[in-house]
This record gives sequence, C-alpha cells and structure tokens, in this order.
Amino acid sequence: MQNSKARMKLKKRMYYTLSVCMLLLVLLIGRTGYLQIARGDQLQKQAVEQQTRDRIINSKRGTIFDRNGKPLAVSASVETVTASPSEVRENSKVAPTEKVAAALAEILELDYDFVHGKITRESSYEIIKRRIEKEKADKVRQFITENKVVGIRLDADTKRFYPYASLAAHVIGFTGLDNQGLEGIEMVFDKNLKGSPGRIISAKNAAGIEMPFKYEKLVNPQDGLNVVLTIDETIQRFAEKHLETALIENKLLKGGACIVLDPKSGEVLAMTTKPDFDLNNPFDLQDESIKKQLQLLDDDARSKANEEELRKMWRNKAVVDSYEPGSTFKIFTAAMALEEKVVSLNDTFFCTGSKKVASHNIRCWKAGGHGSQTFVEGVKNSCNPVFIEVGARIGAVQFMNYFTGLGFTQKTGIELPGEAPGIFHTRAKFNEVELATSSFGQSFQITPLQMISGVAAIANGGQLMRPHLVKSLTDSNDNIVTEFESEMVRQVISKETSDTLCWLLEKVVADGTGSGAYIKGFRVAGKTGTSEKLPRGSGKYVASFAGFAPADDPQVVCLVILDEPSSGLYYGGQIASPVVRSILEDTLNYLGIEPAYTAEEKATLETSVPTVAGQTIKDAKSALSNQNLKAKVIGQGDTVLSQIPKGGIKVNQQSTITLYTEEYSEPVTVTVPNVLQNSVLSASDIILKANLNIKVVGAGASPEVGGVTAYKQDPPAGTVVEAGTIVTVEFRRIEAGE
Amino acid sequence: MKKGQIDFQFLIIVMALLAFGLIMVFSASSESARYNFSNAYFFIQKQIIWAAISIVAMVMLANFDYHRFGKLAFPILLASIIMLVMVIFIGEDIKGGKRWLNLGFASFQPSEVAKIAIIIFFSCSLSKNPGILNKFWRGLVPYLAIIGVFAGLLMCEPHFSGTVVLAGIGLVILFVAGAKGSHLFMLGSPAVVAGWYLIISEEYRWKRITAFLDPFKDKLGDGWQIIQSLYAIGSGGIFGLGLGRSRQKFLYIPEPHNDFIFSILCEELGFIGAMLTILLFAALIWRGIKIAMNAPDTFGSLMAVGITALIAIEVIINIAVVTSSMPVTGMPLPFFSYGGTSLLIIMCCMGIMLNISRHSKS
Repeated sequence: MQNSKARMKLKKRMYYTLSVCMLLLVLLIGRTGYLQIARGDQLQKQAVEQQTRDRIINSKRGTIFDRNGKPLAVSASVETVTASPSEVRENSKVAPTEKVAAALAEILELDYDFVHGKITRESSYEIIKRRIEKEKADKVRQFITENKVVGIRLDADTKRFYPYASLAAHVIGFTGLDNQGLEGIEMVFDKNLKGSPGRIISAKNAAGIEMPFKYEKLVNPQDGLNVVLTIDETIQRFAEKHLETALIENKLLKGGACIVLDPKSGEVLAMTTKPDFDLNNPFDLQDESIKKQLQLLDDDARSKANEEELRKMWRNKAVVDSYEPGSTFKIFTAAMALEEKVVSLNDTFFCTGSKKVASHNIRCWKAGGHGSQTFVEGVKNSCNPVFIEVGARIGAVQFMNYFTGLGFTQKTGIELPGEAPGIFHTRAKFNEVELATSSFGQSFQITPLQMISGVAAIANGGQLMRPHLVKSLTDSNDNIVTEFESEMVRQVISKETSDTLCWLLEKVVADGTGSGAYIKGFRVAGKTGTSEKLPRGSGKYVASFAGFAPADDPQVVCLVILDEPSSGLYYGGQIASPVVRSILEDTLNYLGIEPAYTAEEKATLETSVPTVAGQTIKDAKSALSNQNLKAKVIGQGDTVLSQIPKGGIKVNQQSTITLYTEEYSEPVTVTVPNVLQNSVLSASDIILKANLNIKVVGAGASPEVGGVTAYKQDPPAGTVVEAGTIVTVEFRRIEAGE
Repeated sequence: MKKGQIDFQFLIIVMALLAFGLIMVFSASSESARYNFSNAYFFIQKQIIWAAISIVAMVMLANFDYHRFGKLAFPILLASIIMLVMVIFIGEDIKGGKRWLNLGFASFQPSEVAKIAIIIFFSCSLSKNPGILNKFWRGLVPYLAIIGVFAGLLMCEPHFSGTVVLAGIGLVILFVAGAKGSHLFMLGSPAVVAGWYLIISEEYRWKRITAFLDPFKDKLGDGWQIIQSLYAIGSGGIFGLGLGRSRQKFLYIPEPHNDFIFSILCEELGFIGAMLTILLFAALIWRGIKIAMNAPDTFGSLMAVGITALIAIEVIINIAVVTSSMPVTGMPLPFFSYGGTSLLIIMCCMGIMLNISRHSKS
C-alpha cells in the first residue's frame, strides 16, 4: 500500500516533468516557426546581402553627335583595376603582397605604399586605379597570369573622350569620375546617355571568397542612347574662330558669346562662349595668369578660389548670363510700333540730342542729335529720342504684352542647365521713364538666347520658335528612339510687319550703323547694340550685333556679344558687326546659299581669274580682258608660264594679273603699302599702284555707305609679297556710333 | 530476473537521431573542413568512427543489467570528482574554459561523466532510502550539497552551461523522487539570486545576456554569432534551401557543425525539418519517461528520468540559444553536434535506457 502510494507520486511527478518538457518544446517550435515564416523574408534578405558580392558592369555611355553625325563626345573602352584584399592575402604564399604591390605600382605608375595599403586593407573591395588604357591593362593581365595572382581584377569600364577638345565645350559639357554628366548636354541628358548598368551577383563566404557552387546572376548592361544635336560642327567652328579673333583683338575682359540659329526651326546651329576650356581636361584652368595667382594662396583658399574659377570657366554666357541688350532691342520696339500701327515708315521725328521724359532728361548716344529724320532714318541711326517717342505711342501695357509675348520674361526651355529667365520691371512699377528707357533696350536684362530667339521670330514671319539643341535620341544601331520636333511658341507679330522689319533691318546694314556686317550678295539684315554697364559712367560696355540673312528669306540668325572690350573701341557697330559678318559669310557659303547681287553690286562685282598659264600672251590678254582684268607681262617670252593671282581666285574687276613668261625669272616682289585710315577709293588706288590687288570687306563693300575708312589690312604694311597678291582691306564707317 | 524485449520504438528514435545527426554534421562541417583542413570529410570521418564505437557501447550497455550500476554508484561519483579537480589543473583550455582532459587518443569533458555520476548516484541512493526526502536537513540538503560541490568544481573551469545541466538533472531527479514542494520553494528563491549573481559577476556572461536582448546592436562583435544563426534560420523559410545548400555554413557561422548545427538544419531543411527534429526529440523524451514509468523499481525509474532529463535539458537549451530565445551559452545538441566523446556518452546512456526497458513490468 505504502509502496503503491509512493509509486503514484513518482508517476505524477514524472507527468509534471514530461508536461514541462513538452510545453517548452512546443514553444520552441513556435519560436522557430516565427523566425522562419514570419521573419523569414526579412532575415533572408539580410543574409543574402552579406552573402553576395554585387559587381557593377558599367553600361556604355551614348555618343553625342552633331547634326551631320560627327561624334562630339564618345566613350572609349578602358579597364579599372580592382582588388579583393582578402583573396590577395589568402594567396600571399603564392604571390606575396609586396611583390604584387610593387608590380602594380610600376605598371600603373602609382606609389608603392598606396598600392600595398589598398591590397592589404581589411575590406573585400578596393579600386586601385580607374580607367587605364588597354596597353596597361594587358600588362596587368600578363602579370596576373604569370605569377598566379588571385584577387586582382580588371573590370570593363568606359572613359569619355571629346575628339574636338574645346569645340562647343559649354554646350556639350563633360562627365565626372563615375561617368556622370556634370555640365551641359552631358548633364541634362545624363539619364538617356548613361543607359542602365549591368550587375554580376556572385556568392561569397565570410572571408570574401567566392562560393564554389552556382549562385550567380548576370544582368546585362543596357547601353545608353546617343544624343544628336542640332549643332553643326562646321558652323560651330566658324563661330568659334571668329569670336576667338574678336576676343583677342578687342581684349574682352569678360569674354564673349555667340549663337547661330535656324530661324525657321529654332534649331541652334552653333553656340559658343569664349574663353572656353578643354573638355578632355575640364578641371584644368585655362587662364595661366589666374593659375599663377592661385599658387600664391594657401591650400584652403586656393581650393575654394580654384572651384570658383572653374565655375566661371564652365559658365555658358549664352544662356546663363543676362545682359542689357541696348539698341539691338530697338528691333522689337519698331516691331511693336509697326504691328500696332502707331508709326509709319515716313513719320518724321526731330532729335535734339536728348529728350525730356517726366522730370528726366534722356540723352541720345549722338551728342548734338540727329536733327530731323524719318522713322526709317531713325532706325538706321539708332536714334534714342525717336524710340522714346515710339515707345510712348505703344504705351506701357502693350509694350509689356509684347515683351512677354516675345518670350523675354521666361526661360526659353533650352536643354541646358542653369538658364536664366531675365530681369524686367514689374507691371506696377513700369511707368513713363521705365517705358522710355526700355524702348531703346535699357533698364532690363535678358539672356543672349532670349534675344536671338526674339530676332529669329522677327525673321521668321513673326513666329516665335522654341530654341532647341537636340534633334533626336538614337540607339546603338542609329535607329531614332525619340525625335524632338520643332515647336512654335506663338505668333508674335504679323507676317507683314515681319517683312517690313526685314527690309528695315537690311537698310541698317546697307548704309546704317550696322554696315560692318555687309556681305555682297547676301542681303544681311541686323541691328547693332551697345550698352554701358551699371553704374553708368563706368566705362564698361557690352557691344553686340544681331543679324540674319538673306533678308528676303532668312536662313541663319546670328548674335554676337562682346563683354567689356578694352582695346579702345566698344560700339557694337564697330566691333561686333564684323564678327557677325564673318560668321554669316562662312556659314552661308557652307550652306550653299546662292548669292543674289543687286545691280549696284554687280557693277563692283568680283570676278574669277581665268587660268592663262600655257597660253600665248595674246590669248592670255584677251582672256583677261574678257573678265575686265588687266595684264602685266614680266619677261620676254611668248607664252605665259605662271600667273599671280592664280586661276580661280576672286578679285575685283580692273585688277591686274601678273604674267611670267620666262623660266627662272626672278619673281617680282613688292612691299605692301599702308592703306589704313584711307577711303575705299584711295586705298584701292594705292594698292593697285603698288602692283597689288585689293579685296574690300565690311562697310566699304556696300555701295550705299559713304564715309568709310580702312581699319584692318592683310597682309599688313611692310610685308614683302609677289606682285599681284591680293590685299584684303576691311572698312568701317568713320562716324563712330551705334 | 528474466530478460524481456527492449523498447524498439525508443531504439528506432535513437537510431534515427543518430543517422540524422551524422548527415547534418557532414553537411554543416564540409565547408569549414574544406577551408581549414582542405578536406571536406575531415570532421565526418571522425564522427562516423565515433558513431560506430558508440553503437557498440550502446549494445553492450543494453545487455548490462542496470542494477549492477548500484554498486558502481559511489566509485563513479568519486572518480568524476577527482577528474573535475584534475581538469582545473591540467585541462586543455579551449575557448575560455578548461573543460577537456586529453587521454592521448581522444579528449573528453569530465563534466559529461559527472552528469552520469549524479544520475546513477542519486537514483541509487534515493531508491535505497525511500521517504528520506521528506526530511529537510538529513534528506534534501545532503543531495543539494553534492550538487553544490559539483557545481562549484564546474564553475572553476569555468563551465556555466555544464553547471546548469548538471544542477538541472539533479533537481529533476529530486523532484520526481518526491522532494517536498515547500522545501524546493524555500531553496529555489536563494538559488535564483545566486544564479543572478553568477551571471552579472563575469563580464563575458553579462555581454552574452545583452547580446541576446539586442543582437543587431553589436553586429560584428558579440551579436555576430546569434545574428548569423538568425540569418540561417530565417533563410530556411518553410521548406529550406535543400540539404547541403546552406550558405551560412560558409564561415559565417563559426564552427557550424558544433553548437549552432540546428541553425544550419533550419536553413537547409526549413521549418518542416526543424519541426520534425524537435518532434523526434519530443518522441524520445516521451518514450524515455514511459520507460521510467514502466521500470520495475525506483532505481530504474529515477535513472531513466535522469537520462531523459539530461537529453531534454540539453535539447531545450541548445534550441533556445540558437533561436535567440535565451542568452548564448555553449550547449551542444545531442546526436547532432560534432564531438566524439559526448556522442559516446549519450549513446551509453541510451544503452542504459534500453536495458531498463528490457526489465519493463508490462
């Protein structure tokens, strides 16, 4: 009995023990289930994160082409050397880290300590050197195989290369260390250009070594799209060449900008800012004197100043820097007045040299005034009082409406970073005086790009087109993925007003202030501009010229801005119009636009020199006289052996061609005389007398312009040249003025 | 006494656990063996040899009448105390504790022997003196004193988890044998206080506690092990990554074939496998208690209870640790964790269980 009772108690206690055990085991099953099911995904994600090595394969960045398919920015294949230090260390018995570091340092031209530090670091991934050329990569590869090195890898990568170095630098922009776009098109179209990178995901153990079994995923990289610009590399080169010349000749303290636009489509054909920089070394300051100044600073200040100078260098003046347009803006005041019919071409005005508005006395740029003049003459003279009067007739409200309509209060939306919207009066504060000064382009600021789009609208029958830089995006097989159509913003003025203005602006170039832009046969229209920077009296000017051609069917619009010229001349008519002329002349010829000469022009037209070498003297003389050319025979021979100038070259009619008839006869040489400050007639006379031929350029070429003077000749006086050589002489109006 | 049939269900469960354990040791150890010894079979080869020896030992003990342990009870107790003293002086220091005695051909932990010694001695002594536990000073206290001596010696190594298991077994036997509830409570409270003091007195133990509370706080330091264990368990999901396909065994979990082998099991076989494993242990414990209940005498009952408690405590603590349900303490999982001598001792215990089952009343 006793025994059985004790036995019962024993059993009872055993059941307790069993129950507690089972309870705990059930709890543990619950806990395991919670970890595996409820928190499984999260824990697994974290586990996979530590178990995998994710290597990025860079996608190939798209090419930037000009409108004709010339590559402006390309990506070259290079390789990046990386190390997996844990693997290198594991393998150090086979390939000692010292040996690996020494070899890599030598091949890659790096410091030994730097390399050794990297490959022995407590980490699973280190970049030793980015973007090395194939030649060096091959050397590294050879070293790796020959010495059984483990943990040093070469990853495919790309490097940006700009074949034209500084061409269109501010437009194209450049990329940074990780091939990311930092400026310009490279930045704005970064997403399209860069494509999507691929990845290799492989498993690794806790020591960073890849796991033996297949647990690898490969995601192929997707190459970036190409960007086709509206820029024409050739026209861009013309613009840059002539702006560069102007930059040097006029010693521009704040540089210059130039935009060439197709007025019909709004496509930007060329856009440049000078001085520029080398896209292949965008972080090198180009200005040696600034570099020297920076050397004097201490480290902190230097890096700060360096950054600031770089930003200045990268600044695209054409879209980022607004300026006071000055008289070029009179184009729009005239357009508003003609559109609103508050003025007719023959209305007469009187300029006394100043005009009183409210209590202010506003002066004309010409001291003493222009006297009595028609509206047409007022435009040609760029007379301020005429435009003050016209502005008053338009009225503040309409002026403001047109100003907005022309797009001057908004960004144009061009595909470039940092575009400025311009600065204008608020409606509330736009009173009599503000209206007066605005009428001739002062007291507000717009960007060069806004200015030229406005001019393009005037030239394009009054239709304002949105200026744009990108024609299309294409894939690696050159198939168009996205096409950017030209977009009309709005009709700003009527076709009739546009036609009238084209005629009027052609007058400005034919015999007005803009005659420096005159090109025979191309009917250039345009308007000069000069504005003094604030504060007035500072003596710092912005000279500009906006022109287009041909006036009857405008194909090209060009704006040149010269910021703070410091070599004496500063009027737009003097220094900016010749730059536009050179760019337009080259561009129109390049585009194959046929010149159309007026009757007056035909009289003074150049003629092509016939090739007469090999002919008898008699035949040669008659061939030359057929072209209205004279002959000068050197030597006693019967046949012409050679001639100066050579056949095919354009010279003025009545020029003299020198014919050589004897072999080994000494070439007749002459010294080029000085013709600067002469009129066209006297300059021609001097040059012809010296047995040379003259080519007249600039204002002197226009038959309508009187009172011009030579200011530039090539070759310069004193040069010894062969007789018959052509001397190019540039003329401008004596009367300095806008 | 005539010999009856052994408990075949129990034997099948044991053999299933042994086979399962060997498979998991191979799967878990192959990568660290490859990495450290350039031989994926390094650990499993040894373990298979030990498993063979263990089976022989189990069969021998299954045929060795357990009553004969009665005479050996005191000598074994004495021998294990001597070994525990020896290990303090000449033990091999592995990972923060002198726990191993090197016999030349193998090393073993005297603490394992001590557990057996306690089981045999308590069972024997308590069955010879029925009702003694009703007395406090002359009944319960002397047994507790024996536990105290062993615990003191184990803490000298130090070997915290061993102490917990040993004390646990002792207390379970005393409880089943009829220790009074009031006595246990009177003593239990100060024991909890003493345990708490032990925990906070050593910095590494304290660190383990805090690591358990927030393992992700110190990801690369003390929390590392437990986080890696959780990653492995979580990665398994319901169905697991497949046998042999653990990723966490690639050096993430230190010595994946040892204490944390259950995490690898969870990762490879998922919740299904984990649950099955726990149920297998539950079945073993259930059969163990069954054997204890059907034993012909108190000595057999208590010995079966002690051995079952040994397995139960080790399994529960191990799984609780790897699932971050309690602070980390080094506790192997019976049948699964790598280690020859500990496997041998478990299989010896299983032999004793089988022998007790042969004397079953029904």
